[in-house]
Amino acid sequence: MRLWTPTFSRSLPFSFRFNVLTLLTLLTLLTLFFRPATLCAQQPASEEGRSRFSAVDIYVDSKNAPLAAYQIEFSATNGVAKIVGIEGGDSAAFREPPFYDGKAIQHDRVIIAAFNTASADKLPSGKTRIATIHLQVVGDQPPQFELKLQVAANPDGNRISAEATFEERKSE
Amino acid sequence: MKSKLPHIFECWLIVAAIVIASSFLFGCANSKHAATLAELPAEKLAFENDSVPTTPPSTSAAAAAESKSEVTVRGTRQSFPEGIAPPPHPSTSPEFFELFSKRAGPTRSRNGYARINQALDRGTPLSDEEIWVIARGGDVVQHRDDDSPGSGALLAKVEQKQIPMPLKHTDVRANVSGYIGDVEVTQQFHNPYSSKIEAVYIFPLPHNAAVNEFIMTIGDRRIRGIIRERKEAEEIYQEAKRQGYVASLLTEERPNIFTQFVANIEPGQEIDVNIKYLHTLSYVDGWYEFVFPMVVGPRFNPAGMTEGVGTVARGKQAASGQKTEVSYLAPDEQTAHNISLSVNVDAGVKIEEFECKSHEIIHEISSPEHLTVSLNPGDSLPNRDFILRYRVAGEQIKSSLLTHKDERGGFFSLMLFPPKELATLPRQPMEMVFVIDCSGSMYGRPIAQAKAAVERGLSLLEAGDTFQVISFSMSASKFGDKPVEATRANAKRAISYVESLNGEGGTMMIEGIKAALDFPHDSERLRFVCFLTDGYIGNEAEILSEIRKRLGPSRIFSFGIGSAVNRYLIEHMGKTGRGAVAFLGPNDEAAQIMEDFFERISHPALTDVRINWGGMRVAETFPGQLPDLFVGRPLVVTGRFRGDADTPIRFSGNAGGEKLQFEVPVTTTGAATNNGLASIWARMKIAELAEQSIYEPNPSWAGQIKKVALDYSLMSSFTAFIAVDSTRHTAGAEGTTVPVSVPVPEGVKYETTVPGE
Repeated sequence: MRLWTPTFSRSLPFSFRFNVLTLLTLLTLLTLFFRPATLCAQQPASEEGRSRFSAVDIYVDSKNAPLAAYQIEFSATNGVAKIVGIEGGDSAAFREPPFYDGKAIQHDRVIIAAFNTASADKLPSGKTRIATIHLQVVGDQPPQFELKLQVAANPDGNRISAEATFEERKSE
Repeated sequence: MKSKLPHIFECWLIVAAIVIASSFLFGCANSKHAATLAELPAEKLAFENDSVPTTPPSTSAAAAAESKSEVTVRGTRQSFPEGIAPPPHPSTSPEFFELFSKRAGPTRSRNGYARINQALDRGTPLSDEEIWVIARGGDVVQHRDDDSPGSGALLAKVEQKQIPMPLKHTDVRANVSGYIGDVEVTQQFHNPYSSKIEAVYIFPLPHNAAVNEFIMTIGDRRIRGIIRERKEAEEIYQEAKRQGYVASLLTEERPNIFTQFVANIEPGQEIDVNIKYLHTLSYVDGWYEFVFPMVVGPRFNPAGMTEGVGTVARGKQAASGQKTEVSYLAPDEQTAHNISLSVNVDAGVKIEEFECKSHEIIHEISSPEHLTVSLNPGDSLPNRDFILRYRVAGEQIKSSLLTHKDERGGFFSLMLFPPKELATLPRQPMEMVFVIDCSGSMYGRPIAQAKAAVERGLSLLEAGDTFQVISFSMSASKFGDKPVEATRANAKRAISYVESLNGEGGTMMIEGIKAALDFPHDSERLRFVCFLTDGYIGNEAEILSEIRKRLGPSRIFSFGIGSAVNRYLIEHMGKTGRGAVAFLGPNDEAAQIMEDFFERISHPALTDVRINWGGMRVAETFPGQLPDLFVGRPLVVTGRFRGDADTPIRFSGNAGGEKLQFEVPVTTTGAATNNGLASIWARMKIAELAEQSIYEPNPSWAGQIKKVALDYSLMSSFTAFIAVDSTRHTAGAEGTTVPVSVPVPEGVKYETTVPGE
């Protein structure tokens, strides 16, 4: 029985053949190792620094007063963050995602407001997350944000003293 | 033998390496260009849940409805705590603040005048923009033929393959107040496979829908989507998908066709997408009509076209070569996707009667003005338009005005009824041209309906009239070389010609248009061109452009034939052709609808309509060019206004050689309000700009459309809604794209419309 063998394996020196074999073996192993698990839809790994997604939690601290309404203005000021979603808060009173101003959002500035007519015992007080802003951050520069609490009110419709803060959340 | 062993080893190793490397390289190349299930039969994928839920409950939708029930009061802005401005969302902010202010403090009461006007105006009808609907077809609910693809009967009697699909259920909840519908659609996606997927669903909405809200729900978390320029939204979506974030994107392919993308749905996970839109109901002879389309019909695209809406069989993705592609289930296939729908009508005046001929319904009448209609759970296959009609008290609704004011200014909608004098004037002789679509999608019941309508039309012609019959599929053919006299003998010969027509081949509608419009006009007669078609084409813009170019003094009356016709095309053919539309369902009385049409055109139209707005300072009114007024056809003008004026509005026109003038006593002060008017006005502006872009191509149209859409947070062909959950990466690769396959519309033959192997 005569077997076909590549010509170069006979004519080339053993050390070179060994190197070729080693290379092929490594290629095979690497190929097998990195082959996508199922449907081969894997794209190249994330291009670091090109863009990332992050979430910023917005809190309002109404101290001891029940929070019935608020209006805030949040903006990404240095042009590297785009708003890609707005989520509601922790309290059931503010769970629904708040509405935003369509014109302001074009400049990645968001004016959001919400209210709830529930009784005081069903409204949050103290520090509560009222919304989460989902963002795409483009480039390496860290985003800069500005947050203004325009007004907060109690169930009687009276303005209350409150403080708004934000924290960037780590992605799970 | 010993010396050969290393060579054998080398040989096999090289072959193995080449095979493995090739498989890897080609496999990935495939995935890069089309990581879809096209290469893999969907049923071969492992799926975890293949049960067919009969009436799947919508936990998130129910939760949404519960929370929404807190905010259902409509009205004008009321008092609110100092410093809090109303949120700018156009459709919800007033009710939002009204409700809060009701709790927070005293409200301003409306004056008596406002109440009277509100009562009047809530009952005021508004047609689909300026389209006059001659008649609306409604299918009498009947047992469908056993060979009807995707029909319930077929499901019961013929064993069908159960195809796992990422769209589980669609829930529709509509609230109609007066003539404005506020509709919430929830699409429940899930992943029945064992690996991550991206779901892509192409679905219809009414072409005049002002889509202004988009929310993605993951578990109990709800993320509001952001309106952005389409290209930017698409880039964000692709990047989020690539990085493994759950994301959703809504794009508009046609004014009545949308695509929903949902990325990175993990095995077993459920994601809901909630869309809200506002639209105006059409009005015919005292009947309002609410329509919800459920399926996109299979479209034909002329050779060389790539921007159309393609038609492919399930598993044949990218076979059509079109940018947008609808995948259809074969007759022996079914999915678990079903639909639930409810419509809550607050007519403002007494509802005399109602009907739904398209579906089996359950209804509840809570008061003379309120009606609630739900789809019977046993009739939940989304394969045809849902059509609810209701008639309100009074023979004819008075012309009236509806207004809305917010920080963006004032918006109004004015409905004018034509003068009764038109009904007493006799008609001129006519040149009637019947154009019948004989393409494959018309095979069977649709073409039978078209033939019956034309045959009745031929019998209604009078001495002095002339007629022509044209049929088209891949090419056009005519009954006569030129229009023939409407004699009994000629009509009989024409009926024989019509009887010989069959539905097969493509839909080269352009051939029908050329044949119908490209011949000398007979100045002694009014030319009416009646198109009878399902409108299943992907080149709508080209067709509308050609109609406009070739119309001349002709008037086009389009008849939509079928259970889920392309309403955008049919209605715009009527609009562009300065005529009207009618819809003829598979089980409608074709002769009756043709008789209604002849009744309409048996009186002259009021032409050259002009409006004197008196002291009302109006701007940007739509339609830009006022249509002719026919008997029974209301004219609806929507625009912006400034200030208040109590002077009457006057309109005038010519009919039968006479100049007629009318006065409408409406005022802006104290008129009824509807906070959806701003969105409806913006949607009409977008539609008008889009039409201009068809007829007068200019790069500036895109920018203008984009600006209006972004300013009013509306969907358009240049804007899109994007929502990303940036809090969590999903594990693994980005997943396989799975298009949602749908049944062909009821009455449409799969074999003659969906390309095979």
